[in-house]
Amino acid sequence: MMIKEIITVILLVVGCFFFLAGTLGVLRFPDLFSRLHALTKADNLGLGFIAAGMAVYIASPWAALKIFFIWLFTLLASSTSCYLIARFQKEQNHSKNGKEGG
Amino acid sequence: MSVLIDIILAILAVYLALQSLLAPRLTQSVFLFFAFGLALALAWIRLGAVDVAITEAAIAAGFLGVLFLDALRDFSPRGSEKKENLEAVQNALPKNNTKSLLLPGMALMLGLGLFLLIALEAVWKIPDGGGLTAAAEALLPESGVEHPVTAVLLNFRAYDTWLEIGVILLGLLAVFAVGGIKIYRKPVMATQDPLLRQVILFFTPVLFLFGAFLLYIGKTGPGGAFQAAVLWGAIGILLHLGGRPVFSMIPRWLGQLLLTIGLGFFLILGFLFIAGGATLFEYPPAHAGVLILIVETMAAISIAAALTAIFANLNQMNEGPNEIESTN
Amino acid sequence: METYQIYTLTSAVLFVIGIGGIFASKHFIKKIIATMIMGGGVFLTFVSLAERDALAFADPVPHALVITGIVVAVASAAFALALARRIYQLTGEESFTDDK
Repeated sequence: MMIKEIITVILLVVGCFFFLAGTLGVLRFPDLFSRLHALTKADNLGLGFIAAGMAVYIASPWAALKIFFIWLFTLLASSTSCYLIARFQKEQNHSKNGKEGG
Repeated sequence: MSVLIDIILAILAVYLALQSLLAPRLTQSVFLFFAFGLALALAWIRLGAVDVAITEAAIAAGFLGVLFLDALRDFSPRGSEKKENLEAVQNALPKNNTKSLLLPGMALMLGLGLFLLIALEAVWKIPDGGGLTAAAEALLPESGVEHPVTAVLLNFRAYDTWLEIGVILLGLLAVFAVGGIKIYRKPVMATQDPLLRQVILFFTPVLFLFGAFLLYIGKTGPGGAFQAAVLWGAIGILLHLGGRPVFSMIPRWLGQLLLTIGLGFFLILGFLFIAGGATLFEYPPAHAGVLILIVETMAAISIAAALTAIFANLNQMNEGPNEIESTN
Repeated sequence: METYQIYTLTSAVLFVIGIGGIFASKHFIKKIIATMIMGGGVFLTFVSLAERDALAFADPVPHALVITGIVVAVASAAFALALARRIYQLTGEESFTDDK
């Protein structure tokens, strides 16, 4: 019982650390691409650790599967939106450069 | 310890609300409003209202957020230019605007302060009426479902829920009335982006399944028609954004059927109950569970269709009149 | 201090913030956001009281009312957005201005 809780707490703390790092990155990084990098990479890892912590805490395979799917879908959605935002920004940059050049 | 969490959450909600109104840029306002919605969703969970939390996160933060973001496309770029113009005009005028705004501003602050005191006193002294928990608990076995909130929504106060589906439809009609019924674009090849296409292809069945799961789980736990409807509505929005507007792909009558089936089925069921000697929406206890599930499914389909249509209509609002032909 | 009291007090503050926002903010979208914040305050009162009156489970009637209310609020906000965008489309105004 105790071991389970200790593992949960460790996983949650590690997850929160990654969230903190990601948030710090969003606040401190200079441009959109590096911010996106910080946000999607670190936060997804943090969410993964928190999901793992919750799965350990609940200790039921069915609930763990559901939590895993939540993480997986978030991962998919956030990486897709990251890609789309980055692509949009890149197109904007291109058109801006094109205008300035021409 | 747990009180500390509540206090932090309360301060966070108030802070986000203030910031979303005070933020200098509209984009910031909208994103802080998202965050405010999610903070409220956490508050609902702290208060044991998981159904409300799902609804808040899905509709108030999710769906409304999408609508706001879509509206930002309209307002932000030219808006800032216009603001500069307006400021230039105001500076050119020899009026002393700051002075004229000071007095109403102070009056507003004073009024709000007084109102805040009254409101705080009112909520502090809310009389203890005992609530309706005991009544709901006593009737729960007859309702056909095990989850009290679903029982209230679809059985005890089915009348409210029925009218609410009507309100959403009314909202859609009002949006139509303001913007004109759009002839939706013909389905274009879903954006050239292969990744987006694959993701939409992947998420469509997943969202459908997840919605169906929420719908079914509403019988025994948090979930139900509204939460499912938002997920199904999200399918419609995703498809629309991916260049496949649902309402232009299905025949017109089918779209109208989808929009009205929830309201209509609910009403027909109610009249059947009256014909059977009961009152409106008084389910026979023996079949209540099945009937509620069917009603919920129909309601979810209608709400999802209405949300999709609202989004699709608003989404095409800012396109030039040459691209959209209004019909009536 | 009970949990519900924290949230009822918060709800009063949110309601007042919302009212202030409706009066003080200019842009249509901010006014709509203010309305939603005001609504959030009202819903918070309801759900806090549901938590206060909990027996085996929290009072389900306010929960149902709030779920209904959220959906109605969102439908009306969608209508308000449609109006705002239409006004902007037709006149170029993004707030109620009387000084022309």
